[in-house]
Amino acid sequence: MTHTLTDAQKILRQRGHDFANEILGPVAAELDRGRVVPKALIARLAAQGFLGLAVPEQSDVAGAGFISHIEVVQALSRSCPAIASILNNHALFAYAIAHWGSDVQKKQYLPALIKGEKLGAIAIQEEGPTLGNGPDALLATRQGSGFTLNGTKTFVRNAGAADTYLVFATIRPDADNIRLAAFIVDAGTSGLSVGPRLETMGLRACPVAHLSFKNVSVTEAGVMGTENCASGIAGQVLSVGAVAEAAQTVGIAKAAVSHAAEYAKHRVQFRHPIASLQVIQTMLAEIVTDSHMAWLGIQHVARLIEHDSPFEPEAAMVKLFVGRLGSKMLVDAIQIEGGMGICEVVPKHISGTLPLARMFRDIAGTTLLDAPDDFPDKLIAAGIA
Amino acid sequence: MTPLNPDQLAIKQAAKDFVAKNIIPHAAEYDKSGEFHGYLLEAAQPSKIFAMAVPKEYGGLGYSPLTQALVLEEWGYGCAAMGTTLSASILSMEAVLIAGNDDQKRLFFKPMLSADIGAFALTEPAAGSDAGAGVATAVKSGHEYILNGPKCWITNGGKAAVYVVFAATDPAKGVKGLSAFIVERGLPGFIMGDEEDKLGLRSSNTVFFFMKDLHVPASNLLGKEGDGMRIAMETLDIARPSIGALAIGLAQRCLDECVKHLHERYPATSYPGETLQFDLADMQIQIEAARQAQHHTMVLREAKLPFSMESAVAKTLGTAVAMSVTTQAMRLMGSHAYTSEFGKFMRDAKVMQIYEGTNQIQRLVIARSVLARPKVAAPAMTAGAK
Repeated sequence: MTHTLTDAQKILRQRGHDFANEILGPVAAELDRGRVVPKALIARLAAQGFLGLAVPEQSDVAGAGFISHIEVVQALSRSCPAIASILNNHALFAYAIAHWGSDVQKKQYLPALIKGEKLGAIAIQEEGPTLGNGPDALLATRQGSGFTLNGTKTFVRNAGAADTYLVFATIRPDADNIRLAAFIVDAGTSGLSVGPRLETMGLRACPVAHLSFKNVSVTEAGVMGTENCASGIAGQVLSVGAVAEAAQTVGIAKAAVSHAAEYAKHRVQFRHPIASLQVIQTMLAEIVTDSHMAWLGIQHVARLIEHDSPFEPEAAMVKLFVGRLGSKMLVDAIQIEGGMGICEVVPKHISGTLPLARMFRDIAGTTLLDAPDDFPDKLIAAGIA
Repeated sequence: MTPLNPDQLAIKQAAKDFVAKNIIPHAAEYDKSGEFHGYLLEAAQPSKIFAMAVPKEYGGLGYSPLTQALVLEEWGYGCAAMGTTLSASILSMEAVLIAGNDDQKRLFFKPMLSADIGAFALTEPAAGSDAGAGVATAVKSGHEYILNGPKCWITNGGKAAVYVVFAATDPAKGVKGLSAFIVERGLPGFIMGDEEDKLGLRSSNTVFFFMKDLHVPASNLLGKEGDGMRIAMETLDIARPSIGALAIGLAQRCLDECVKHLHERYPATSYPGETLQFDLADMQIQIEAARQAQHHTMVLREAKLPFSMESAVAKTLGTAVAMSVTTQAMRLMGSHAYTSEFGKFMRDAKVMQIYEGTNQIQRLVIARSVLARPKVAAPAMTAGAK
């Protein structure tokens, strides 16, 4: 579908692929093992202009926009989806500032975010079943013109590495009157602490941790939007995030199916390359078809987002579709490679690369961004005319 | 579940207790390091569970196939990697039970009585699904055979006391020239390769090894020269439902843990919506179906009825269910699953769809059986509705 892209978008897409092949490919396995946040790589993403693609009005990169953002995310994910995760969470923060931030907030954060001088993150999830309802929900109480925050946000991506967080907190959590508010809280703010980094199955270069707030003061300048619009912000941020995350899923699947196809062409069993077996062709065809259909859906939502059209039901469909598919594509790709597919480290008696085990761990993570109670089904069903 | 007799119930409970005490508390740590769980062999020694497939006349427990499956399901519930050590050892024993003479059985089963393990070495770099394409050879020289060639993906391969190794005594005859040998640990010419670093079943030992002029007594030949492929196929028919049993245990554990998590996450007063309830129900439906198919295969085997097709169904269904249930649990739990032991469940399930005959090879076996059925006289289709 590259013919639907402008020349500038195509150039960005190609730069994403080049970056993935030349820079990320050689270090992806090491990043997975080391679990170190690659600050130097984030600076290189900034140098490519990738950090500001989701906020085109602020970026001076030709072709910037959400369409280019997902193209680059997909391309990077072919080599290292963990880096794409860092980028996505950062871009989501920038997107929120650009859409709902005050002029002062925009001025304070956006140039620094685009240049990579600041890394952003989003803190939505909580331990309880819904926001504001858990034992350790993040509550905001008014203090003068500002607020004081107390509680815990869970599973925050980019936690610890980020310089600034978009934090959703509940005001006055009595049964009948729960309101959400959004706050910008910088790392290092007194009372904010980042918990130990959590072990994740994959996407290991992207840190995940809980954030704890103990009497964290936020001035009025740190409030995003009005109190009443924050649940709308949270919904849209989750929707945009789900689409961007789905681009990671597709990038991984495309890389995996290419690898599996190449393997099938060279693996001889029953006197022929297994690629000549009908069932292997079917498995390959299904993965390619599924990932392609997902990609068409993602591109469609990206166009809606870029043109500021309503996009949430379509984003929910992408989330539902990709959530069902994601891991299945790697389950099948690995099956084609058999024993080789499950190798975390290339055995000494083999040459080449064996990335599918890592991709299997990574792709599961790309479909689990949100809280489990966030059913896209509900939004889709409600939107049926 | 198939009705169990009091002995079976007692054995199942004992296995459950052993797993709770010795397996579940250590599974995550061994998964992380990928180190072989050697402590387990020691812990299992008093119970002789590693000799549960050894007939009583050879000092073993002589458990029936169904009883063995009950134990394996419990081990899979605790840790599929640790269960794999037990099931792969039994796999090697089955070959000796099928084709071994009295002396060979004594030789092979003795280590199992003290919780040593066996390994079954068929696969080679060029011979995976195409098991007959191997290059390992065995040349007779006086009272010995001299073995040469590579073996790979050998479960327990680096830790076994005894091996059943397949090599061609007459390479010109292809699969009909394959033979099976008992090989004892530590012989000169047995060159151990590296342990594989795997996605799942990480603490189960998997190695590549090479045989270079490895001398084996001629009396270690199982059956006759050329019997190798038949022995291998019969052994796999018998043993592969064990993988189904481990997988069912894994899937049940994953569902139980998922439910436990949901209880903790959702307040006691509320009940999850129907979609979530039905998701959980579907998981249990799959597990139950796979368990029945598995037990049915064991019952056929005990009744000495044909079970080759059912055996392939049990392996394929069990591991497919494990994959499906673990994937679904991840979806239901989101980030909680991604940062916990649920990742292990899913990684372990993936490997189980591949080893001991990929699920594609099982489908070939099943399809062959389906296509070979005589045509039945079906009532003629009538056009149009009444």
